[in-house]
Amino acid sequence: MNLPAAHGTWLCQLAALPDGAARGFDPAGTGSDSLFLVRRGDEVHAWLDACPHMQGAAMAWRKDAYLSGDGRYIVCHAHGARFDIRSGLCLLGPCEGDSLTPVPIHIDATGAIHLAIEPF
Amino acid sequence: MNITGLEALVFGVDDMTACTQYLSDYGLAPINVGPEGGRFEALDGTAIILARQDDASLPAGTGTASMLRKTIHAVADSASLEAIAANLATDREVRRLQDGSIESVDDMGFAIGFQVSLRKPLALPAEAINAPDVAGRPANVPAVDEQAPAKPRALSHVVYFVPDAAKAEAFYVQRLGFVCTDRFVGVGPFLRPAGSQDHHTLFFIQTPPHMKGCEHFTFHMGGPTELMQAGSRFVAKGYQSFWGPGRHRFGSNWFWYFNSPLGCHVEYDADMDRHDETWVAREAPMGADASQLFLFQHREKWAPGGPPPKAVAA
Repeated sequence: MNLPAAHGTWLCQLAALPDGAARGFDPAGTGSDSLFLVRRGDEVHAWLDACPHMQGAAMAWRKDAYLSGDGRYIVCHAHGARFDIRSGLCLLGPCEGDSLTPVPIHIDATGAIHLAIEPF
Repeated sequence: MNITGLEALVFGVDDMTACTQYLSDYGLAPINVGPEGGRFEALDGTAIILARQDDASLPAGTGTASMLRKTIHAVADSASLEAIAANLATDREVRRLQDGSIESVDDMGFAIGFQVSLRKPLALPAEAINAPDVAGRPANVPAVDEQAPAKPRALSHVVYFVPDAAKAEAFYVQRLGFVCTDRFVGVGPFLRPAGSQDHHTLFFIQTPPHMKGCEHFTFHMGGPTELMQAGSRFVAKGYQSFWGPGRHRFGSNWFWYFNSPLGCHVEYDADMDRHDETWVAREAPMGADASQLFLFQHREKWAPGGPPPKAVAA
């Protein structure tokens, strides 16, 4: 695959991420997803797949299942903590007041979503 | 106070489709399950009961992210049920439900129920192992069966986050006859009810009040191999492992924890210790090292790799 190296690791095309959907990625090939994207309209939010209440705790309950049933919140499915999709702030749960860690991404003119940092 | 174990846990959930799929894939049998929820039974009939979060018939929630709405304890007979009802009625409301059970609250505000157990005794053998000079299995009986059902057998225990572990323990010990089997200092006790020898059906973890709720629940499997089989199948279906498989020190139970859409971890456990009144509770500080005798971590990939250079060139 020819990746535009200047933009870092390619994650997916915007068109492949339906509005309202979330998806996990494993850019370093560790065997488990380390970050996830959530699409809201034309906005894409990228967060580390690690709940702030316990170091490194993966958040989905199943592959790509990061959101509440109504799609309005990111949820850590360890203890049900709810996070604002845009700000990453924990609104309810063990880590109330803490925030998810943002992951810098870049979306180019073709809709390709790239990691703007080294893969981890 | 002849409490014999857990009968059921009731959850009020916001994503019924996800929770229904999850508990079914975990291995519980859906009984009369629909959009409003239903019952998910282990082989012995003990169960997780799902209802919608806004179901008015549920006791109030904890006001936190926890979705646990009631813990139903099993009692041996109606005399035990009446004794508990009389005891609790001295300082709190005790409601009688249509199914003959009673409902009240503990000193932390968790809704609790008690019912004469409908649990079906199981005639299934425990996992048998061979060792030098000890034939655990008859000759010609292979231990490994890739098609083994490996279904959860019985509701084992529930773990609460509580804002005051000492107060919570006092209620269950003094009012309901539970016994402390072991304790993590500064964290909380493992409690077994008088009518069961299982190391614990309850464990409390002291936390700030905003965390009050359920940390996890688990069902007993027939042995470590069933636990490994069920857990491996769960992972293969895409479910997220949290901790395990491994074996705890206190209780000696094998464990494997998973994330879930029920607002708590969900575990498989196997081969838990049994205790009687001669047992003297141990104490230890809590930490991963104290909690696990050993741990295997599931990994999709255990080392960096790729095709050899020749293959790439080809």
